[in-house]
Amino acid sequence: MENITKKIRAVAKQALIDKEVDKILGWKKGDLWSDSYPVFITKPEDTDTLIWDLFCINNLSKFLIKELTKHDKIGIFIKGCDSTSFNQLLKDNRINRDDVVLYGIPCEGMVDPEKVKKIMLNERVREIKKHENNFTLISKNKNIDVSGEEIKYDKCITCISPNPVVYDQLLSDEVENSKHSGDRFKRIEEIEAMSPDQRYNFWKGEFQRCIRCNACRDICPACSCVKCVFDNEDAEVSGKAKTEGEDTFFHLVRAYHVAGRCVDCGECARVCPAGIPLDLLNRKIIKDINEVYGEFNAGMDSTTPAPLVTFKLEDTDTFSKKGGK
Amino acid sequence: MKKILKTKLPELWQKISTDFDLFLPIEKNKTLNFSLWKDGEKVNLDKVRTTTSSKHLVFPQTETYLKFKNQNNKLSLKAVKAIGDEYVIFGVRPCDVKSFKLLDNIFLREPVDTYYREHRDRGTIISLACTNPEDTCFCSSFGIDASSAPLGADVAAWDVGDSYIWKPQSEKGQKLMDSTKELFTDIDEKDIQNLEKEKSNIQEKLEDLPFNNIDLSKIKGTQQEIFDKEEIWNEFSERCLACGTCSYLCPTCHCYDLQDYKGNNHGEKFRCWDSCMSSDFTLMAHGNPRTTQMQRLRQRFMHKLVYYPKNHKGDYSCVGCGRCVDRCPVHIDIVKIIKKLGGENNEL
Amino acid sequence: MSLDTNTNVVNKNEEFKPLIVAFCCNWCSYAGADLAGTSRLKYPANIKIIRVPCSCRVNINFVLRAFQNGADGVVIAGCHPGDCHYSTGNYHTRRRFSLITNLTEYIGVEKERFKVDWISAAEGNKFATVMNDILEDVYKLGPNKKLRDARWKI
Repeated sequence: MENITKKIRAVAKQALIDKEVDKILGWKKGDLWSDSYPVFITKPEDTDTLIWDLFCINNLSKFLIKELTKHDKIGIFIKGCDSTSFNQLLKDNRINRDDVVLYGIPCEGMVDPEKVKKIMLNERVREIKKHENNFTLISKNKNIDVSGEEIKYDKCITCISPNPVVYDQLLSDEVENSKHSGDRFKRIEEIEAMSPDQRYNFWKGEFQRCIRCNACRDICPACSCVKCVFDNEDAEVSGKAKTEGEDTFFHLVRAYHVAGRCVDCGECARVCPAGIPLDLLNRKIIKDINEVYGEFNAGMDSTTPAPLVTFKLEDTDTFSKKGGK
Repeated sequence: MKKILKTKLPELWQKISTDFDLFLPIEKNKTLNFSLWKDGEKVNLDKVRTTTSSKHLVFPQTETYLKFKNQNNKLSLKAVKAIGDEYVIFGVRPCDVKSFKLLDNIFLREPVDTYYREHRDRGTIISLACTNPEDTCFCSSFGIDASSAPLGADVAAWDVGDSYIWKPQSEKGQKLMDSTKELFTDIDEKDIQNLEKEKSNIQEKLEDLPFNNIDLSKIKGTQQEIFDKEEIWNEFSERCLACGTCSYLCPTCHCYDLQDYKGNNHGEKFRCWDSCMSSDFTLMAHGNPRTTQMQRLRQRFMHKLVYYPKNHKGDYSCVGCGRCVDRCPVHIDIVKIIKKLGGENNEL
Repeated sequence: MSLDTNTNVVNKNEEFKPLIVAFCCNWCSYAGADLAGTSRLKYPANIKIIRVPCSCRVNINFVLRAFQNGADGVVIAGCHPGDCHYSTGNYHTRRRFSLITNLTEYIGVEKERFKVDWISAAEGNKFATVMNDILEDVYKLGPNKKLRDARWKI
């Protein structure tokens, strides 16, 4: 990790000095152990604050939409899931490939501070150290050794693209694919096996906690509309009332709007302050697309048309008894 | 002051909930929230911070004011009363107790918000001192003592190992304790010692917190000067996603929007939480007075740190609960802003 | 918090008249409904037809709003694949609603309440059959309570 940090700093500094790029998007460390946040740098001397650690979870590629309106050329550090969302933004014509220099970083998964806090309940965590395959959680009074599965984000455990799929320069050796990437539809299957009433009650219980902060939408790299339909006063879509129907409406429309474009980065579920497993909605759609229209993972390239903007004459469907014409 | 054994708590909940709606920090999935207690719910009093604050009890996320319908081309209106019964809320941390007072400043000044007042009058608040403050807590910066009995709580409580000590602080609180007195026992000399020990234990932990050194008086400059620090506001707003997480989790954010629900021949007027982060905040016929995210983000922090104290005898509209520090998806938080405005160089 | 199951509602409530919202393509199913009418075929009166220019005009918002505001069942009827007035509209309908029917089922709306079918202008008979079928299915399930907005009725 320290090596990559060094490389990030060197690469960023050189790019700014050479005026190869006008701005660098990277991560920086705050005061707390879990606080690694996005930072945008224009001065070469500021590059010494860039870091790479276990908490660089933020996907920087969505910021490109806004930043490219102000700058001509931007350098950006991307992990595997960031790179797929970058491809998706290219495909949606939100950014231009020539305006961006990509520094890829293979990623072995990020650590979920909530999981750490749960293990170290009411202990003040000071630091987390990574060894070969394990981690040590260090607090004032005790150290605990844990495995990666215990503290990594669920979405990282089942990640399908740990290595960047698009980059100009790769900053370290590629890493192995996650052992558990085959499990990503497990939970979906469990829900599918429930009865309709059980399913409804499950989702009702989840959506009930929604506070309508829109963080799931705002963090989503596929939610890149200039004006969201839920922000459009004239569309009469944004029912702001906190009712069962409106909550479900919001979440289904949100999930469906990114159908075929969702890269399964799981950020919606990560940022949800109410802990709603929103990725289970998106992943259900991915699973259905795979089953009905063939395996498709959004963002693996920037040219294949998304399943919902195209069709085949011989398509089948899921609603008719015969399975389509 | 009296004490109750932790083992007797289920009995106490049962007893209180026969007369009142009882709200407790209840764990569901990954979240801890003040929810209506029913038998079998998982109560967690050890984690210091609930995910959302307790403000929804006095300021619900959605509240209907008025129902209207069209009858034979005549409009008939019906006022709607504030919904809810008398309730007891236990486990409110001193920071959240203070937040009720800050909301009072807004809603109970003339003209009084009658809905808010009703919700407020119906409640009995029982505070609980913070045995285990979290890294992101910084309430002491706002003069809040997480070990003490906070002003505004009807009963103050402390965790002293195997039991809780309750101290009534108002008539309401006394009445509640009288009605459940068979579950409480008198305290003795040893309990007093334990209580003092708990208090100093909390104090010690508070002093050890990473954000213990925040000093708001260090924020220098006039209102205009702070407003004009565009470099700082730009730096933070650059990465702001414009979601409402900070505002909706905040115990003191109190802005709301008025909306209509349109049915066929009828409708409802309701208010719902609003966030200054969103693009339609204060949207008027001519457009929005704050057109950029920088202006909207600035508004939030100017309100909390400058305008509010100016209007309310120096009280900041922040209690240091740390929810926004914990949950902002991109780690923009009030601590970073305070530090930056105070001219500290170790940040950014 | 758990939802009352819909079983036995029919017995308890003899009055139950399911409200079905049918989004019909202007170029086929809507004419199919006409044909069903002129051929004196019977289909129930509690089917509310909403005419749309093409079945692909319907999006998930329409369906959810219908359920929120009183519908017990929703039908989307369009031209048979290959017969779209706009050449390709219903191919998109087919893909979209394959996902949406699965998604609504996934969050707990019974599959029988939400149907997509192809009905041409010549298929008055099929129109009546499809409507009668969904009506019967919804009748068996009882009134819809899921997604319902309590404010839709005074």
